Amino acid sequence: MSLFLTNILLALLWVSLSGNFSPANLLFGYLIGYLALFLSRRAFAPSNYFGVVERLVRFVFFFVWELILANLRVAYEVLTPRHNMHPRVIALPLQARTDFEISALAILISLTPGTLSLDVSADKKVLYIHAMFAEDEEAVRKDIQNNLEARLLAIWRQPPS
Amino acid sequence: MAQDLSAWLIFFGALFMFIAALGVARMPDLFTRMHSSTKSATLGVGLIMLGAAFHFGEIGMTMRVIAIIVFVFLTAPVAAHMLGRAAYFAGVPLWEGTLSDALRGHYDRRTHRLISDEKVEENFPEGDIAV
Amino acid sequence: MILWLTIGLLVAAVLLCLYRVARGPSLPDRVVGLDLLASVTVGLIAVYAVLSGEIIYIDVATVLALIAFLGTVAFAYFIEKGGMPWRKT
Repeated sequence: MSLFLTNILLALLWVSLSGNFSPANLLFGYLIGYLALFLSRRAFAPSNYFGVVERLVRFVFFFVWELILANLRVAYEVLTPRHNMHPRVIALPLQARTDFEISALAILISLTPGTLSLDVSADKKVLYIHAMFAEDEEAVRKDIQNNLEARLLAIWRQPPS
Repeated sequence: MAQDLSAWLIFFGALFMFIAALGVARMPDLFTRMHSSTKSATLGVGLIMLGAAFHFGEIGMTMRVIAIIVFVFLTAPVAAHMLGRAAYFAGVPLWEGTLSDALRGHYDRRTHRLISDEKVEENFPEGDIAV
Repeated sequence: MILWLTIGLLVAAVLLCLYRVARGPSLPDRVVGLDLLASVTVGLIAVYAVLSGEIIYIDVATVLALIAFLGTVAFAYFIEKGGMPWRKT
């Protein structure tokens, strides 16, 4: 956490020294600061900051890619005259435990076209989703658990390196 | 260059919005309509706002646009969740092509609690159409 | 030029939403239509801001995006807490 604040400070320092307060320059300053901190990482106590940032960036790219693919699929379904979809309401047992993890997962599921999270059971163990292309119910469940949920939870659950 | 980029971003945003509206008008039941409206609309608003940010290219504007995009991405799924849950309680029927419904029988109608492990006795009546 | 095409697409989207609002068949369906209508309006205002070059319109779009969410949530709450009294239970 303190490394993150240091990184922000470095970015602000870069912006004020280069005298150009634009978002692109702020991002550039953050990247340079991150690189500097990464190169001198052995000077600090072990922290999971670098791992978290790396996995977060990877996850964002993965998610945007999935978003584009799935959006095209739904667009195809909307634009073609016949309905080829096989909707189901599916019960999805959760690996996520805390409220933050569950709501993050539910929001991401809702944002991926083709799946929509409906409700979480009162004991927070099962998430009910509505899936549009669910001819094979088990495949949809496995896909979400192994891709989206596992990658999401791995972001902050891995030990510091 | 930046103007071209902004125009294309706005155009694709509008295209997604149009597809979302087409989906809302065409899809057979409420839940599939909500699929279409939440995602494509969020993506559409996001792209149009990004295009506007590129067009104006000011720092205050960019910050506002980022705030709107984050807000829309966080709230649209919440709205969809609340509406879907409410519609399920109101007895809105699923499309006849729906293969299975794991939620059926798991809601306690009186307390509105969702129980995952056992079925609640009181079931929703079949084909209960809300007007 | 392309922006006018964009306006055309968005107006078509408004008409499709209005069709869903008018057609129903249930109250939640109409709310979905209204929700999307609000999003499309946010897009329309943003496009108009770009066309007219007035940055101030973006603020209008911001406020509308904030209010629309509250409207949908209020409707959902109303429907869930027994908001269809004309229906036999």
